[in-house]
Amino acid sequence: MDQPAAKPSFKKILVIDDNPTDRYIAKRMAEKHNFAEEIILYESARKALEYIQSLEEEPHLLPQFIFLDINMPDMNGYEFLDEYSKISETIKTNCIIMMITTSIHPEDLKRAENNPSVIRFLNKPLNKEKFGIIEQNFSSKKKSS
Amino acid sequence: MQQETEDLTQSIHIQEFLFAIKKKSDHLINYFLFSFFGIGLLLAFFYDTWQIAVGVGSLLLIAYYSTKFALPESNFYQYVLSVVLGVFMAQYIYQMHGMFEMHFVAFIASAILITYQNWKLQIPLMFVVGFHHALFGYLQYAGSENIYFTQLDYMSLQTFIIHMILAGVIFSICGLWAYQFKKYSEAHIDLTFKKQEIENQELKTANYELDRFVYSTTHDLRAPLNSILGLIEIAEDDATDEMTLEYFKMIKGSAQKLDGFVCDILNYSRNSRMQVDNEQINFTELVNDVIQNLKFMGDSGRNVEFKIDITNNTSIHSDKNRLLTIFNNLVSNAIRYQNHKITNPFVSIKIDSTETETNITISDNGIGIAKESHPKIFDMFYRVSSESVGSGLGLYIVKEAVNKLNGIITVESEIGTGTTFFIKIPNN
Repeated sequence: MDQPAAKPSFKKILVIDDNPTDRYIAKRMAEKHNFAEEIILYESARKALEYIQSLEEEPHLLPQFIFLDINMPDMNGYEFLDEYSKISETIKTNCIIMMITTSIHPEDLKRAENNPSVIRFLNKPLNKEKFGIIEQNFSSKKKSS
Repeated sequence: MQQETEDLTQSIHIQEFLFAIKKKSDHLINYFLFSFFGIGLLLAFFYDTWQIAVGVGSLLLIAYYSTKFALPESNFYQYVLSVVLGVFMAQYIYQMHGMFEMHFVAFIASAILITYQNWKLQIPLMFVVGFHHALFGYLQYAGSENIYFTQLDYMSLQTFIIHMILAGVIFSICGLWAYQFKKYSEAHIDLTFKKQEIENQELKTANYELDRFVYSTTHDLRAPLNSILGLIEIAEDDATDEMTLEYFKMIKGSAQKLDGFVCDILNYSRNSRMQVDNEQINFTELVNDVIQNLKFMGDSGRNVEFKIDITNNTSIHSDKNRLLTIFNNLVSNAIRYQNHKITNPFVSIKIDSTETETNITISDNGIGIAKESHPKIFDMFYRVSSESVGSGLGLYIVKEAVNKLNGIITVESEIGTGTTFFIKIPNN
């Protein structure tokens, strides 16, 4: 019952979260539900940003989805978004950002909705239903194979 | 913009104060005027001046009250009052055939007018007195018949001038006091208002800090809780042992209950602290959001049927977050307390909006609530039975949110038949 035989829906996703348990959950959930072929985990938003920028010349290697936590030390989710908005269009057109948080604060929701780079606001924990919704909404981005 | 609104509220405070003074003074003036009229009648006994007492006296009363009636918003009637009081003085002097002491009535009039705290009211009185003295003094001096101004046998220009200067000084001083009183009142209100403003600001800051505190605390509580829930979900998937699965189910139930409690506290705090919003409401969208959110919560795996009926003829303005809180709580209760003996559990949501109000009916065919519990279900921490899984805050929060929207909520329920909540909120 562990790994379904079907091919993963997406090629590559990036999870940015300072909490190791939440990173683990995101990874395991994505694996279990066959969401992506490759799952990159980053503890630091700053390092994740560097990683994305390093892939500018090879857009096919960019993650299709970025799952971004809000509350993080050093650079938090909103600061990441501020920096992200300044980087090249190539990256922005290839990546879709999903905010993941435990917040149910309407202010956070509004802030995320008003950010042009953010597509969706998801409450933790990530689970089958949430991956299902993403798959439905972004089926065009699925790997063509 | 902020400054402007503040100035406006401040001037409203001063206006309110001046209006109160005006009302009180008007009330006193009624007594004064009728006393003046009455004194005129008393004086009529001396020289048999009934025609003057009744004729002039009534004309004066009519002049005052008709102006006050015709122009209640303006202060014009107060200026008429000033003239009326001056003429009363002239009437008394005439009635007492120039008795010198009657001249003091002008000073009484001047003192009465201070009550309106408007120095300009002294001006018409001064003109009436000046004009009366000049005209009648001259006529009597010239020897006209039936003119009574003074009993003195002299009335030189010099006497007249001294007389007028003294009257003028008294009117000016009374005017000055009126002006001072008004300035003092304004300064006093200003001070009270500023003090209030500062206190308000402090309260606002304290409220904001408390809100932030509740927010970060609940967030900090929920973060590890959601990690636990995520881990349980993974572990449930991996476990095969019947017993372990049962444990996971129980741990998950407890964690969800705890999470619900934390969310309730957050909702409660938000409802009591946040200002009421007024935005356009799309009920179809709102109800769909709520249902999407709650679709997966039925743990029995049974599908609860949602019956939606929204009659929307007009645009509704209300507070979206509070409406969401109300719907989330009531619909989740309906799903949670479904009747397992019934094969077709449903939640029916009926919304009917008119220009003035919105009627919301949320009913189910669930387990129902006993009649004796109805008065208590909206109380804080009240739980209907030990089987109730919530924090006892849900319906309390609903009621508080409905109150914030100036609405009312009532319940009808019977054990085994179902529960219906009726909510009526005004359309802003």
